[in-house]
Amino acid sequence: MEFAIISTLNGVTYGLLLFMVSAGLTLIFGMMGVLNFAHASFYMLGAYVAYAVSSIFGFWAGLIVAPIVVGLTGMVVERYLLRRVHAHGHAHELLLTFGLAMIIEEMIKLFFGDFPVNYQMPDYLRFSAFSVYGTDYPFFRLFIGATAVVMFALLWGLLTRTRTGIVVRAAERLPSMAEALGHNIPIVFMCVFGAGAALAGLAGAVAGAFYPTNPNMGLELGVIVFVVVVVGGLGSLKGSLLASLIIGLFSSFAVGLDWSVASILDLVGLGGWAHSIGGLLTLELSSVSATIPFALMLIVLLVRPAGLMGERN
Amino acid sequence: MNKFAALAAVSTLAFCANAAQADPLKIGIIESLSGAQTSSGRLYATAVQYSVDKINAAGGFNGEDIQVVEYDNAGGATGAADKFKQAVADGVDIVIQGASSAIGGQITEDVRKHNLRNPGNEMIFINVGGEAMELTGDKCQFYHFRYTTTAPMRVNALVSAMKEAGDLGTKVFSINQNYSWGQDMQSAIESAAQDGGFEVVDAVLHDVNKIQDFAPFVARIKSSGATTVMTGNWSNDLLLLMKATGDAGLDVTFGTAYLDQPGNIANAGETALGHYIANNYDNTAGDASFAEDYKAVTGQNPIFVEPQTIFAIGALGQALEGLDFGGGAVDVTKIALALEDVTYESPVGPITVRKEDHQTIRPVVVSKVVKDAKYPADDTSMGFQSVGVVSGEDAIYPVQDSCQMKRPN
Repeated sequence: MEFAIISTLNGVTYGLLLFMVSAGLTLIFGMMGVLNFAHASFYMLGAYVAYAVSSIFGFWAGLIVAPIVVGLTGMVVERYLLRRVHAHGHAHELLLTFGLAMIIEEMIKLFFGDFPVNYQMPDYLRFSAFSVYGTDYPFFRLFIGATAVVMFALLWGLLTRTRTGIVVRAAERLPSMAEALGHNIPIVFMCVFGAGAALAGLAGAVAGAFYPTNPNMGLELGVIVFVVVVVGGLGSLKGSLLASLIIGLFSSFAVGLDWSVASILDLVGLGGWAHSIGGLLTLELSSVSATIPFALMLIVLLVRPAGLMGERN
Repeated sequence: MNKFAALAAVSTLAFCANAAQADPLKIGIIESLSGAQTSSGRLYATAVQYSVDKINAAGGFNGEDIQVVEYDNAGGATGAADKFKQAVADGVDIVIQGASSAIGGQITEDVRKHNLRNPGNEMIFINVGGEAMELTGDKCQFYHFRYTTTAPMRVNALVSAMKEAGDLGTKVFSINQNYSWGQDMQSAIESAAQDGGFEVVDAVLHDVNKIQDFAPFVARIKSSGATTVMTGNWSNDLLLLMKATGDAGLDVTFGTAYLDQPGNIANAGETALGHYIANNYDNTAGDASFAEDYKAVTGQNPIFVEPQTIFAIGALGQALEGLDFGGGAVDVTKIALALEDVTYESPVGPITVRKEDHQTIRPVVVSKVVKDAKYPADDTSMGFQSVGVVSGEDAIYPVQDSCQMKRPN
């Protein structure tokens, strides 16, 4: 019971963190069809901007400035780079964002050095919210989770319940029709890209204070964020949330479980044989816990190529 | 075959005669200078340059300055193999590398094959950071020298110093990364259990630098009832693990190998206090001139992998002092033989090479993170204070059976 409760708690908050980082990516892909490889770099940029600002003006100022700066960067990228290559198709957009990711990473190293910087949450946020079975539960994890939930609610409301949402969705479905109705489609795209980047910036500012802020943080989270978006269904916000939670829970439970192929074979009396062979048969689930999301992605792609909640094919 | 050998000999002679004027010794650093491991790679390269400058200031070698060439392996073994070929083409005599055992494994094999194919034109590989046991085991060879510790040396030192300080406890949790180094650490921890008087209550291997959330592992440490956690984790895997443990309010003592990586102490904050590390260098040992000179030249304190690198080049410089090629061709085999006999007096104690497997016998320093340290780390008030220096003789382990070294005739 203790194991189940603690693992669920850990899994859900980790899942919400993943959602927080992948929300912007989903938004940009869903509304613009651009697979943004630089997304995790925007996340890193957010953390570093928040670090730079917070060391002078305090933590909350960093939290506000980071998404604005990163959002503006995103808009500039869309206006002056992406828009130029848009006509040449997806491959060019992909390559452009890929190159951008590398440039951002090296720029960060140039300005902030190769080592993790000391970006910390303020001391008054460093307390345990509650205690389960003698294990403290840090408040900041709940803060990360809450940020993700608010992010989801806002995005969801904005896209489905407001006039702006209708325009954005129309721009994605039928751009020329929306344009004919008098909407400035290029501006809409620029704002969507900026908003997606800003979300990544906010995620970086929040998560960077909890996890180490270093030049590799984009690289480390970047891959897993793509897995989330693919599993959830490219462009589906609800799907991303679902996929994040599933991946969070799977990773969390896998660590505590000593399952291996050998232990399953034990049930039918072949355990001794499996242990004598070793290798893959005795590989414990916990030692491949970081691989589980990728296995999940493989299965989802095989069974439902569009992702759990994806519509497009 | 004989004809070939004769031909090779003649051409080598001819080559030697041609190059009779001035033949500088060339050192090639094949290091991770871009990509994820830049932070370590750059430190190794800076330390090599610093120490070679010292030798050159004292007159260089063979009538010339020693030349240093940097090659960027981009953090991978494939890149390293590529750059090794380039280093061969550039006429490099000594290759130096430290960040990553996987790359070290690639280079030592490349050097071995090169030396087989080019007798009389050998190269040396000075390994300043790759700690995988196989480098002095299965892959051991005459032209590879390891100027750093290995897993059993670090673990044995940790166990003896922590036991003496009363911080070891009887229940130890082993958590390591799932590749050669982590597996070496795990088996070293398990084999130290009997002498250390503790029980390994649980051992786990996990993916390398992929895990963002260590809270589930902390839950597992807690349910095992361990009071001490021993880990060879480095970079994010160590930082995230320690932070998650601190956040959960779990009261365990860490025995680590890489807590001294720049940025770690600042990021871990108060959580780092009271934890242990076994490494190659004690920044409070003896007089402070070593650290202060390094800081004056390069702008940073030598607290991570720099000291072991500087000691390695220092030992090389000592070996070179006894050699004189009269300005002629550099005989790398003679340098290797001389290096075997060097006893280098580092600020923490003597470092010698064990001839059977070319592992260095060296003191291992165990330090603890304390407040108000003499040399604070990362602009905090915390830093490392040495709690014990385990002498080379006590820290060393027997030569691995798998090492079959072929010596030059």
